[in-house]
Amino acid sequence: MRIVAVFEKGERIRHIGHLDIQRAVQRGLRRSDLPVAYSAGFNPHILVSFASALSTGASGKREIMDVGMAGEVTAQEFIERMNRAMPPEMQISEARLVEDRHPAMMALLTAASYDLTVYGDGTAETLIRAIPGLLARDIVPAMRKTKTGLKECDIRPLIYQLKAEGNTIRAVLALTEREACKPNMLIAALKEEAGITDDPRILTVRTQLYGTGADGKLQPLETL
Amino acid sequence: MELNEKIEGVLEFVQKAPRYTGGEMNTAVKAWDQCPLHFGFCFPDTYEIGMSHLGLKILYGLINREEWSLCERFFMPWVDMMEQMERENIPLFSMESRHPLRDFEVVGFTLQYEMSYSNIPAMLKMGGVPVLSRDRGEEDPIVVAGGPCAFNPEPLADIIEAFMIGDGEDVMTELNRVILRRKQEGLTREECLRELSRLEGVYVPSLYTVEYHEDGTIAAVTPKDAEVPPVVRKRVVPDLNDTYYPEEIPVPYTEVVFDRIMLEIMRGCTRGCRFCQAGILYRPVRERSMETLISLAEKLVSATGYEEISLSSLSSGDYSCLPELIRELMKRLKDKRVSISLPSLRIDSVLKESLEETQQVKKSSLTFAPEAGTQRLRDVINKGVTEEDLLEKVRDAFEGGWSSVKLYFMDGLPTETREDLDGIADLARKVVNEYFRLPKEKRMKGLRVTVSASTFVPKPFTPFQWEAQDTIPQVQEKQEYLKQILSIKGVKFNWHEPHLSFLEACFARGDRRMGKVLLTAWQKGCILDGWNDQFHFDRWMDAFRENGLDPAFYANRKREKDEILPWDHIDSGVSKEFLWREKEKSEKALTTKDCRLGCNGCGLQTWKGVCGFANRSGV
Ligand code: SF4
Repeated sequence: MRIVAVFEKGERIRHIGHLDIQRAVQRGLRRSDLPVAYSAGFNPHILVSFASALSTGASGKREIMDVGMAGEVTAQEFIERMNRAMPPEMQISEARLVEDRHPAMMALLTAASYDLTVYGDGTAETLIRAIPGLLARDIVPAMRKTKTGLKECDIRPLIYQLKAEGNTIRAVLALTEREACKPNMLIAALKEEAGITDDPRILTVRTQLYGTGADGKLQPLETL
Repeated sequence: MELNEKIEGVLEFVQKAPRYTGGEMNTAVKAWDQCPLHFGFCFPDTYEIGMSHLGLKILYGLINREEWSLCERFFMPWVDMMEQMERENIPLFSMESRHPLRDFEVVGFTLQYEMSYSNIPAMLKMGGVPVLSRDRGEEDPIVVAGGPCAFNPEPLADIIEAFMIGDGEDVMTELNRVILRRKQEGLTREECLRELSRLEGVYVPSLYTVEYHEDGTIAAVTPKDAEVPPVVRKRVVPDLNDTYYPEEIPVPYTEVVFDRIMLEIMRGCTRGCRFCQAGILYRPVRERSMETLISLAEKLVSATGYEEISLSSLSSGDYSCLPELIRELMKRLKDKRVSISLPSLRIDSVLKESLEETQQVKKSSLTFAPEAGTQRLRDVINKGVTEEDLLEKVRDAFEGGWSSVKLYFMDGLPTETREDLDGIADLARKVVNEYFRLPKEKRMKGLRVTVSASTFVPKPFTPFQWEAQDTIPQVQEKQEYLKQILSIKGVKFNWHEPHLSFLEACFARGDRRMGKVLLTAWQKGCILDGWNDQFHFDRWMDAFRENGLDPAFYANRKREKDEILPWDHIDSGVSKEFLWREKEKSEKALTTKDCRLGCNGCGLQTWKGVCGFANRSGV
């Protein structure tokens, strides 16, 4: 049995990197005293994986952990015990039991939505004004970080939705193991389109992770 | 909150932002308005170091446990953060509620090592608290300090208003109660400090005057009037089993230096190494019972989720029932997959059996501290360790699957000769040989013997408090020599920056005038001196010069028996006579036995019932 749980990475701890978040979840699971499954071997650790690593500096409203269980537990119990064991910035909002053979959440991931709040006088307006122009283009070149260095790619097909509200840009972007448009790639493209060079201060919040349903439409990942 | 916005804004631009963001497990904040007393706990070094420190966790829990007091943490920001804070006008703020330091009724520094001193004025300044005691007004916090370096409080006498000497657990609450009265009954600053000076173990430097002889030595330290105690006696908590110990401790998100549960199994050490200040300051030895420890361990594991416990004390191998304790802990914590480590292995402890047990769980590198290279010098410093002992333990360790060993030495010990340095290389070579004597299939691959030599720093309250430290050129010459003779295959040699040890020696035995040097150096930009890349020795030397003081007077001068030492009005419980006796024995290379074998009459035997070994045989 596994548990798929939705948790928050609060704004206050957004500078904590993924490895540290992983460790914090491991320790939270240990504190919870839930019947979790451990790996074999010299340095046993709890079998928990994450749908997607969230980068340093970004907070997440609905991140997903996937926990291997060694004993019976209800979703409700999991939530209650974990929420007592986790700091206020990392509370769990939903959980669901899945069979062991259920595909890993990581493998089902196809997209994510983001709120990008832009600070600084007039910067948000300038960037937001560039949105229609960007969307009208056939190709949006961007630089993607790979193991071998920076590579050029086209992110236009990876932008599923792009709009704005106040000084916040809301985007739904492709996110799979193979190809992804990271928020910083989008911002770089918008800066280019708007013709600005300064780095604005941006608060990145990942609001939801998505998979693709049988109908080909995006669907919240935790429901798949 | 505007400050909050500003802080969030600068965090994007600093390295290691989590140093400043808080929100760790078990740091839940208490409501500011519901606590009349706010204690700002300042660790004068970075987050990673401060959060590894056991004393912080004890006092943090202890203060927050009281319904009327609240404790929040402050650390020294790194240079990049300091620049950002200065530019944006952000005061030093607490990790929990982000209140500026000046908003707290008490500001408390922990003094763990001298080379963190320049961070103290820096943190006060950033926090909006006047740096000098005499500049603080009725609105400002009371600035206090504790920790091992408080035993020679004089270099900080102009900055710290009250020092807590000795074990902090009891006196901390008493001190907070007095400061609460300042707030609730309107005691003036002056009255409050007077009240504090009446607490046992509290030293208020402004109530004493110091006079000097022409040669710079002290002529007299005089209390201002009859109400001020002429000597301040350290606090001792008699029984650790009924002394507070936290059952939950903060768990940092990021990795800190010691990222595990630290279980203090005992306090003090019975060995009597003559260079060791902690061995005197934390006397007498008090052990926590197995029962207490096991219950604490279980609670701490459930409250933290840590995967490792270390048994901490000055000499864990000496704990009366160590093998039983380890066995029991392993049994209870096996299901939780918690490993146990012993940080300060003494090589003559009967540990083979327990070692084999720990090894099932955790295999870290083994450390041994022979401190000196020859038996003669080890006798001088009363380090009761023989070469045979050491080699036997090393052999056991290699057979047990270890392949990396650390050896700690000191250079510049009193009476040291070339032969003693040669002894270091000899010992290292013998350790290497032990490894190769094992058949290939029986030893772990990758032999690594790390030899570290630190420079001897004479410390107050030790038998060597009258000794001279080697000069910097002398140290450098010895280090060069050691580098040469230690170029042995499989051996890595580390040494300490001699300039830092020199300055440490100045502060360790400094008087009040060193406070001026500290202030000048800080004004010249000295901060974070413990970090090599931030250390500016030349600025420090300028600061000495500008204040008309000679660092050699503090570091390289041998003191006479009748000289009044700057810390003579602090009573560690160990008498000056005992220390002098030990010094004389050291000159003849005569050893003194472990207190567990009988009392040596250090002075604490006259304190009613504090030392459990004092009534046994011996003196
Ligand atoms: S009183 Fe005696 S036994 Fe106790 S620490 Fe001092 S010398 Fe050792």
